[in-house]
Amino acid sequence: MQKIEHRQVQESLYYERLPNGLEVYVLPKEGFSKTYATFTTQYGSIDNAFQVKGKEKMVVPDGIAHFLEHKMFEQESGEDVFQTFSRQGASANAFTGFTRTAYLFSCTSNVERNLETLLDFVQSPYFTDENVEKEKGIIGQEIRMYDDNPDWRVYFGLIEAFYQNHPVKIDIAGTIDSITQITKEMLYLCYHTFYHPSNMLLFVVGSVDPEKVVEQVRNNQAKKSFAEQAEILRFVPDEPDQVGERRKEIQLSVGIPKCMFGFKESQQALGKSGQSMFEQELATKICLEALLGSDSELYQSLYNEGLIDENFGLDYALEKGYGHSIIGGDTSNPEKLLARIQEELPKRVKQGISATDFERIRKKRIGSSLRMFNYLEWIANQFTGYRFNGIDLFQMIPTLEQITLEQVNQRMREHINWDRFAVSLVTSHL
Amino acid sequence: MTRSQFETGSLGNLRVHVYPSKKFKTTTLSILLQQQLSPGFVTKDALLSSVLQRGTQSYPNTLDLKRKLADLYGAILFGDVYKRGERHIIQFGLEMANEQYLQSQESLLKKGISFLIEVLTKPATENNGFRKEYIEQEKAILKQKIDSLQDDKIRFAAQRSIEEMCANEPYALFNYGRLSDIPEINEQNLYTYFQEVVTSCRIDIYCVGNVSSSHLIEILEQLLPPEIIKAERKEIPFSQEATAKNEVKVVVDRLNVKQGKLNMGCRTHTTVRDHDYPALLLYNGILGGFPHSKLFMNVREKASLAYYASSGIESHKGILTIQSGIEIDNYEKAVAIIKEQLQAMREGDITETEIEQTKATLTNQFREQQDSPYNLIQFHYHSILSGKQWTLTDLLQQIEQVEKADIQRVAEKIQLDTIYFLRDQGGDPHAKN
Repeated sequence: MQKIEHRQVQESLYYERLPNGLEVYVLPKEGFSKTYATFTTQYGSIDNAFQVKGKEKMVVPDGIAHFLEHKMFEQESGEDVFQTFSRQGASANAFTGFTRTAYLFSCTSNVERNLETLLDFVQSPYFTDENVEKEKGIIGQEIRMYDDNPDWRVYFGLIEAFYQNHPVKIDIAGTIDSITQITKEMLYLCYHTFYHPSNMLLFVVGSVDPEKVVEQVRNNQAKKSFAEQAEILRFVPDEPDQVGERRKEIQLSVGIPKCMFGFKESQQALGKSGQSMFEQELATKICLEALLGSDSELYQSLYNEGLIDENFGLDYALEKGYGHSIIGGDTSNPEKLLARIQEELPKRVKQGISATDFERIRKKRIGSSLRMFNYLEWIANQFTGYRFNGIDLFQMIPTLEQITLEQVNQRMREHINWDRFAVSLVTSHL
Repeated sequence: MTRSQFETGSLGNLRVHVYPSKKFKTTTLSILLQQQLSPGFVTKDALLSSVLQRGTQSYPNTLDLKRKLADLYGAILFGDVYKRGERHIIQFGLEMANEQYLQSQESLLKKGISFLIEVLTKPATENNGFRKEYIEQEKAILKQKIDSLQDDKIRFAAQRSIEEMCANEPYALFNYGRLSDIPEINEQNLYTYFQEVVTSCRIDIYCVGNVSSSHLIEILEQLLPPEIIKAERKEIPFSQEATAKNEVKVVVDRLNVKQGKLNMGCRTHTTVRDHDYPALLLYNGILGGFPHSKLFMNVREKASLAYYASSGIESHKGILTIQSGIEIDNYEKAVAIIKEQLQAMREGDITETEIEQTKATLTNQFREQQDSPYNLIQFHYHSILSGKQWTLTDLLQQIEQVEKADIQRVAEKIQLDTIYFLRDQGGDPHAKN
């Protein structure tokens, strides 16, 4: 077991890679009552075409990673694993994203038993024709719920507008039609491809003794045998630089229209990993915040003009195969908002970001990163997401301290490219 | 200095609660004002919570105010209004980094407190009123906030069902107020109202972080205007108990939606002040608070009717709400299954396993709250508002002692009041389903 000290945030991280390939990280938090653990596979909704070297190439229905996540809670004993966690005083959950699926619990007692339950249920799939059929009704309602949610629709609409071919444009839950095709055989196939320990990471944070946790996981894993896994090949079609659609609009029954817009990264800006990817992400976030963040001049003018409200936000997502910024929120007048953005943003990009704005935003981001270390959930989930991209979360503050104004201005000129701009709108029925 | 409890002190007529702890990387301050939930105040309270964040005497310009916050290492200023029974709580707060983790020598704490107090007591003004510009802008934003309620169908259905259930009670009011009040509010009458609020509403000041109670009180004494410290403050009465309806009220709303939202409201006739409160917590937990609960198991897992099916309580007003998202055609089926669960609870069809699981998960839920500054404050304030100041240990002990007979006694008091259904435009528009 390795100990890594992070002096500035005053945290010590413990790490071990087990013989079966599983990566285990433990972060003890002094004074906390809670322990939070995530067991994550690097497998998400975008992994719909793949091949284990030496085996056949597979293309699977949309929404299968998410469907599999739901079905993992089923156990051979017939007891839903939620019941087990409840008995042990834990609150359990799971989520599926574009690039990963995580299983988690939090508790303030019985940590050892809950950790054992987490490891065991994720490593013993039990699918039957009957339990797979039953889930279709439940997930069908989950899909309907999102269909009626304008915030989700405007966000996802923008992703659909950006991409022509990349599977990130496929809804994480799939559609009612696509999930109808799912069978237990397909679930087992995906499970055995992506849930090998060498494709997974366990993160435990909270009121724990790192030695004991690692020892427990070592013993738990030693009892199970996993066949050697060959490399997984993931197939992603080529994605042109151009956006798929410049503008996407749908109608829902909303009181206030929703408008999101942003820029898609060019292929040239993708494919990085590790520290250079981290720098790109943080520099882009600083640039967006300087241009349109809540303490920028432009934000304040738009707010005073009644075009945006306090929920106007910005985000930047960067993965190995895709990247984009997402900006927007509720607006009473989407057309006017877009016109103002297209008028003002180019001027500000031309001027560049000033040293004063840069320093203020850097300081603000350092403070907010520090605040996030209060949240065990955030630490575990962010750490894991970053780790899969070769990034170390604990380098966030040092990286922010090193980023230069030149880097941020350079990034701004690359990212803000109107040829890769798209808009998504949700407006009310006429 | 780490002690896992709030120390309550007073400064004039203000109550000051400090939770000294080194475990957080931030210091969280929160100032909570209690107003009576009533049509005359509700919209003004909502507007105040946003107008006061627009500018102060030292930073009259909103952009300067926000840049000052960024300068305090991205301190977060927040202001909002929410309901606790028939009390309307106006909340302001600030969360800032603890300077011990920063490569900086400045003392953020005093600067932060001073900033927050200025937000609350010294707003930017002109002609003895608020700035007209800010009032006009915030009125438009508030209108938008109220209009946007229907955008989140889960929240919309929850609010609509409460409105129908509590039709003649103040609790029906939406926490952001009423559209019809907005035109009447101006920079003068809101300023007069503001002065009344800060000098007559009960104020609780909270701090969670590496700070001692005496140190905080000392700083507050230097910074708060004496008239605020000395002012006489009113007590807001606890919520009115509603009279029971003779028959269940059924309400259907229609919008262009794909999923139906079913909300059922019950009167609990048990509140946070009652001896039965811990048993009510268990009742709710067994019925629908967790993924092992009856609603989740029967509506979702057995019948595959829903993705979510849960219950929650408002323990100041004495309301239990049940909510689920279902296929529109499954309305009858879902209502029947939910009613069966209520009946099972009344008949004492509750297993020892359900009781054990619920005790374990409830206890865990309360313990986990100790790890968040905001939840710590909420938990303590909840006990202050109840008028019965219990500690976490007291409450956990009471939960542990609850027996099946206690839960059944609570179950017998619970009465279904209103069934609300949000559906699409199809079906017979006159039918009551």
